[in-house]
Amino acid sequence: MALNLFAIAILASLANFSTMTIQSEFVRVIELFQLPFMHRALMGSVLTGFMGGLMGSFTILRQLSFFSDTLGHSALLGISIGFLLGLDPGLVLLPFAVLFALGVTYFLERTRLWTDALLNIVYSSSLAIGIILLSFRDDYKGGITHLLFGDILAMQTTDLIFSGVLLVVCAIFIGLTLRSQILLTLHEPMAIARGVSVSAQRTAFIVLLSLVVGISIKAIGVLLISAFVVIPACAARLLSNTFVQYILISAGLGALGAAIGMMVSAFFDLPSGPSIVTVQLVIFLLAMLAPNTRKLAL
Amino acid sequence: MSDPVLVVKGLTVYRETHAAVQNVSFTVPAGMDTAIVGPNGAGKSTLIQTILGILPRRSGEVFVLGQPLSPKGKLPAAVRQQIAYLPQNFLFDRRIPITVSEFVGLGWDRLGLQLPWTGGRTRRHAVQQALTQVDAWHLSHKLVSALSGGELKRVLLAYCLVRPRRLLILDEAPAGLDVRNESEFYRLLHQLKKEQDWAILQVSHDLDMVRRSCDRVLCINRTLLCQGTPDHSLTPENLSLAYGPEFVRYRHSC
Repeated sequence: MALNLFAIAILASLANFSTMTIQSEFVRVIELFQLPFMHRALMGSVLTGFMGGLMGSFTILRQLSFFSDTLGHSALLGISIGFLLGLDPGLVLLPFAVLFALGVTYFLERTRLWTDALLNIVYSSSLAIGIILLSFRDDYKGGITHLLFGDILAMQTTDLIFSGVLLVVCAIFIGLTLRSQILLTLHEPMAIARGVSVSAQRTAFIVLLSLVVGISIKAIGVLLISAFVVIPACAARLLSNTFVQYILISAGLGALGAAIGMMVSAFFDLPSGPSIVTVQLVIFLLAMLAPNTRKLAL
Repeated sequence: MSDPVLVVKGLTVYRETHAAVQNVSFTVPAGMDTAIVGPNGAGKSTLIQTILGILPRRSGEVFVLGQPLSPKGKLPAAVRQQIAYLPQNFLFDRRIPITVSEFVGLGWDRLGLQLPWTGGRTRRHAVQQALTQVDAWHLSHKLVSALSGGELKRVLLAYCLVRPRRLLILDEAPAGLDVRNESEFYRLLHQLKKEQDWAILQVSHDLDMVRRSCDRVLCINRTLLCQGTPDHSLTPENLSLAYGPEFVRYRHSC
């Protein structure tokens, strides 16, 4: 009898403790999200997720997923060059990303080798050269983790403004050229026959994609940036029945995954970028379980 | 007689190091069905892709509705609206989530800078009419990737029909259709030509169909070997020149 009472007392105290712990955690997270840097981090991650999903919808259909990954890895080279020249890496990164993307596109269009093999050469070598260049700066060796995985919590107001403006530009571009983009993605010769300027449209898309990757590097890091572009779009494809629906779901899932990921990160005190990518993965797996998408998913 | 819809003068096209089309000249009048015949590798598809600006030309001139095709393959948007093109193989990534009505709607759009909701009701009405015309309205909500070969051809034709055109360019378009669908396909082409004065330029391997349905024939094997009415052009001598003497002996023995 005494033993039972003791067991009940222990269970009650444990339950009380866990309830109190959850309550106190909620309070802690709510207090955390009152802080200005968390406001910026949440808003920045949602903007980044939205942009990634929007541009990702066309990126995966045009089989440019690996290209976006290569852009992410090459960003390290741009940052390293900035450091070595004594310039602000953030300022060097964007023009570098655009020039690099255009250079790689030009290179890919004029070679007969396999695209994935060439992109592999470009991304691994730019990563290697970037690391070597960084090794010349003793004062930045500790910051390599920030470059690889990003730091959403360090986002500043100017970063948010850049992201917001870029999101508006991307949305306007996709909106105004939607029909041309769809036909170009579906069948290039038919698009040319209708007067779509393929090279202009393609270049504009690549420039915007490189800017999205360049802007998002600070928050997400070079290793995870392509996940922001690829995962929401793949999940959206499993859930959509029309092209327009697909683009909207992709952008929406990108933003939703980022918002939930930030909350998970704050609640469990986990790194923000990897938390968001993990949430995006969970959304993708749930989309695979949807009954009408199994045929496409498996 | 009205001005020709298409004028090609001394067109030469190189594919890598060899001339795929050499010094070809012809005109396509309005309301005429013109067939391009010739053996595999004769440059038929290259010729029409160059006319459309898909492939670059080495020399020569192309005029569509009186407007010159620029060396970079550009035509005024208003002229592009008047042309419809059906490729030999409509190969596309079947994972792209596009419905039949979305796809046919692309045939209606001008494809310049425009708000995504431009057209609205007019666009929907045109799509419905085009799909009804090819007996495919019931497919409108289906994904293009889910269509059978015959259904896809009908939907492609609806993409061309969704807006009035002046020139329809077909690259072996009925290939893969069964006898009934092929006959329906040609009946529709005939109707468009007769009622709406469409000019048709089509690559074909079906010489019997060309003899039966087309008004003019261009016989090419890299160069233009002959042109004129089917009776004038599809003679054993010309066919022997284009396809080789073995082909003519085989056709005679059939």
